[in-house]
Amino acid sequence: MSYHFGRGWSKLTPYFLLLPGLFFYFLISLGPSMATAIYSFTDATGIKGAPVHWIGFDNYREFLFMGRASLDNLDALKRTLIFSFMVTTVQFTLGLIVALIVNQRLRFSNIFRTIYFMPVILGVVIQGLMWSLFLFPIGGPVAKLLEVFGMRSEFLGGQPAEAFAWVTFIQIWANLGITMMIFIAGLQTIPSELYEAARIDGASAWQVFTNVTWPLLTPSVNTNLLLNTIGSLQAWQLFLVLLGYRNGTQVLGYLIYATGFGQTSGSVTTSFRQGYAAAASIVLFLLVLVIGMTLQQLLQRREKRILG
Amino acid sequence: MSKKLFLFLSLMVVFATLLAACASPATPAGDSGQPQATTASGEETAQKVTLRVLVHQNPPMVAFMESFNQQFQDRHPNITVDMSIVNANDLSTVSQTRLSANDIDVLDIFGFANGAQPYMKQVDPPNWQQLIEAGLLMDLTGQDFLQYYDTPTINDAGSYNGKVYAINLGRVIYSGIFYNKKLFEEYNVTVPTTWSELVAACETFKAADIPCMTAGGKDGWPIFVGAYGLLGAIYPDQAALVEGLWTGTIKWNDEKSLEMWRKMQVYARDMMEEGASGIAGDAAPGRFASGAVAMFPGGSWYAPAIEAAQPDFDWGYIPFPGSDNPEDNKYWFGKYDQGWAVAANTPNKEAALLYLKEFSEPANYQAFVDAVGFIPTQPTAKLNTKIGAEIAPYLANFRVGYEQYWVAPKGAGQYANPWASYFKPFGTFDDPQELADKVQADLQAGLDAVK
Repeated sequence: MSYHFGRGWSKLTPYFLLLPGLFFYFLISLGPSMATAIYSFTDATGIKGAPVHWIGFDNYREFLFMGRASLDNLDALKRTLIFSFMVTTVQFTLGLIVALIVNQRLRFSNIFRTIYFMPVILGVVIQGLMWSLFLFPIGGPVAKLLEVFGMRSEFLGGQPAEAFAWVTFIQIWANLGITMMIFIAGLQTIPSELYEAARIDGASAWQVFTNVTWPLLTPSVNTNLLLNTIGSLQAWQLFLVLLGYRNGTQVLGYLIYATGFGQTSGSVTTSFRQGYAAAASIVLFLLVLVIGMTLQQLLQRREKRILG
Repeated sequence: MSKKLFLFLSLMVVFATLLAACASPATPAGDSGQPQATTASGEETAQKVTLRVLVHQNPPMVAFMESFNQQFQDRHPNITVDMSIVNANDLSTVSQTRLSANDIDVLDIFGFANGAQPYMKQVDPPNWQQLIEAGLLMDLTGQDFLQYYDTPTINDAGSYNGKVYAINLGRVIYSGIFYNKKLFEEYNVTVPTTWSELVAACETFKAADIPCMTAGGKDGWPIFVGAYGLLGAIYPDQAALVEGLWTGTIKWNDEKSLEMWRKMQVYARDMMEEGASGIAGDAAPGRFASGAVAMFPGGSWYAPAIEAAQPDFDWGYIPFPGSDNPEDNKYWFGKYDQGWAVAANTPNKEAALLYLKEFSEPANYQAFVDAVGFIPTQPTAKLNTKIGAEIAPYLANFRVGYEQYWVAPKGAGQYANPWASYFKPFGTFDDPQELADKVQADLQAGLDAVK
């Protein structure tokens, strides 16, 4: 379909209409991203009036290669990848299973959809507060449950690995609803005749799923995989709300926030180091870019193979 | 619709959107954007002014400030105080942002600390120094109200390069323990003055199924802040400790430090109550005041919150006994806490200075320290509070603590700190020697990196 806006200057009408959107895109998204890339090569503090010096790759050298701190940063990078893998696989699988169940013509299925989706609208602070209360180690509901089995835990304040596992679980709980909704939308686009035909041909439930549902869900599968992967690589808010600055639990996104915004433990006065935080952001950006692009290529190839 | 009209309307929409995006926000009449005229006295403001004040979250202090602001507004009807409150962890970032945006007049600033020393290499200046060097804090040198404060405070906690940029409002102690007098009497436990007595006291309470100590571990640092008494008992000169760590004459895994780590393990594993990691910093005073726990290692600033939670609750406050020699345990370690600074570019300079002047008047200042339990920095102010009476016996032995001197070398690992929370059940370590070696290795990595 093509639109005609006339001749001469009138032809430019659609471009003029695009201008406000482009302006805001540059102002809010692309501009700050480019500024971050430039700042990463400086000693910028983020303070108005403070001198900014070009220091080349020093921030990157410090982040990736300087002393034990750089190894801690690489640990955070590894933790980010583990977090992303766990969240993506579990959230994707659970989201699909839940979507398949609530998409059935069952009584109260709308109520269950709402219940599963509800955590999404709560917001990170409320989600964090809720789980802090659930996991309160002195008489909290989960602590009481463990007591029945003669067990106890410090939960979010205990061993870093356990605290990290709880945040992973809460991240999945918080975002499962979005994955489910995307799958439900995909399921509802599959023509019911295909199911009827498969049943008439004597296909089992598993055969119907593998030969009808799964291939035709490909666009939803791709969307969910990309959203889950990129979202979990960038996650940091739940780490801030639930754990704060704790050794052995930080992911890259939180490390950037803590560095850029002076989050510390105790009353030590720190420095403003936004140039350094910008370099860490670029490292995360490159990680997301490489993983995101590779995944997108693979998914597009798969989509082409299945749907033509 | 004709095509020309459509094009015209499109252009209008585009330009209207761009203009709306670029326009300054509307400023109400008499708002803070308007510089105020002064009267002949030079103190009173003629036009309506909104004075923007930023403070950190500390419930008794916030309550006092609300009443002071009301009193200030009553005396100066043309000034409205718009006070914002932020979490202490976010204070420096919010200060930086609002100073840069010229969106603040008076700000709460912690005592100047963590400055670079001659023996430190490649360290960045602390945030207060960065703000001063960027010209964002007003030079207060020569202001009349400075005369109310003692000279060491002015010099140590608010000056830089011979100029005064902040007035500090009080010192606090972070190496003490609150104890429950009723439980101590009931179980016939003497108030500990040595480490062995503290261990014995905890064993008595635990045998009676009473948790020995609690802390607001959810916020992280409250778990280990009380244990700074252990550090102080071994290294009473904490400025020298920091220099020793930087120059290599003191190591976190030498025999002397190892004694501290062994005690810290006992503190984290045996003394702190199970589940302390889930208690928020603000909730810990209430937990202690409930009477369920025998002791609460923490800062003197918690005293007003304990009193507010249970006014009848009987408590005492002692230095953390980290040594078996009682003489080593008679020190308080702490810091300069809250202070006031003024934005250099404030359009409300007269009102801001008037605010500081009235706050500093001895009667107002006395009411402030009475409310928040600070150790006064005005020599004429008295320690009227209960916490003041508890602190007084050792006040001559007040020392600025390790955290106010320490600057980590770039490249140091995340374990290069003397924190008890690295031990199980809060952390991963179970062996003091192993942890001491890890802490020293993380520090050494930084020292080697900046050689």
